[in-house]
Amino acid sequence: MTVCVFASSSGKIDQRYMRAAADLGQLLAANMINVIYGGGGIGLMGALADSIIENGGSITGVIPSFMNDEGWGHPHVREMIVTRDMGERKKEMFTKADAVVALPGGVGTLEELTEAITLKQLGLFRGPVVILNTLDFYGSLINFLDQMVAKNFLRTEHKGIWEIAPTPPDVITAILNNRKWIDNPRKIAKI
Amino acid sequence: MALEVNDNNFEEVVLNSDKPVIVDFWAEWCGPCRIIAPAMEEISGEFKDKAVVAKCDVDSSPSVTARFGIRNIPTVLYFKDGKVVDKQIGAVPKVNFINKLNALIQQS
Repeated sequence: MTVCVFASSSGKIDQRYMRAAADLGQLLAANMINVIYGGGGIGLMGALADSIIENGGSITGVIPSFMNDEGWGHPHVREMIVTRDMGERKKEMFTKADAVVALPGGVGTLEELTEAITLKQLGLFRGPVVILNTLDFYGSLINFLDQMVAKNFLRTEHKGIWEIAPTPPDVITAILNNRKWIDNPRKIAKI
Repeated sequence: MALEVNDNNFEEVVLNSDKPVIVDFWAEWCGPCRIIAPAMEEISGEFKDKAVVAKCDVDSSPSVTARFGIRNIPTVLYFKDGKVVDKQIGAVPKVNFINKLNALIQQS
């Protein structure tokens, strides 16, 4: 099984976010779950990768060439796929993933998470989409998604697309449990 | 010692228990199952008056495994009054099992 992890590259954040990313890395390694991620060497991406490597897990980075040229890639991730641009990077990650996990992050992570939700709404991705909600980081986004449902921009059934995991062990349960999503998402893709 | 449960005694040991029960679904060939096995043994000793800790070999208990929809192991199910009330899939540190079990005991 391969899990795609989206996460921040900022390191100027509360250490508890870093700790949660490292804990998740350790759990993914212990459960022999392969990880594909954005290839970054710092921030939550770096903390996750460091932990996976330290615990003998499997991790693949996918990084656009301009970031690679800037030296933003993780120096110790041995399998690094270099793509032409950001779009190709994301496509590569989705194509290989059985599940998607979003850690806290900025607008890049937000965009990746919402694309995962959109793809699942349209039936183009079927695996679990898990939000690691460390310190309730995503609380306001979850409220916003609820508002979309309340105002009929999304259907109530669409709340089944994503799962909220308060802690790293909850992420492992969510990705391995693989809660059933509906058989024909396109039937309810139109609101 | 964690109690061994199977298709024959599951109802009696787990579903009819008057204490909370945690059941570790495992198999010999499963690496992550071996990681959590020592924690389960320790928890069974530490909680011996408050809860029942059981383990169920999925290869020799196909009926129970199917009934509870076990698709990945290790899966640890938490039972209260014969019903599944919580779940942890995968190998995680001992403290996580203890926290969930304590939450269950406090509800009693």
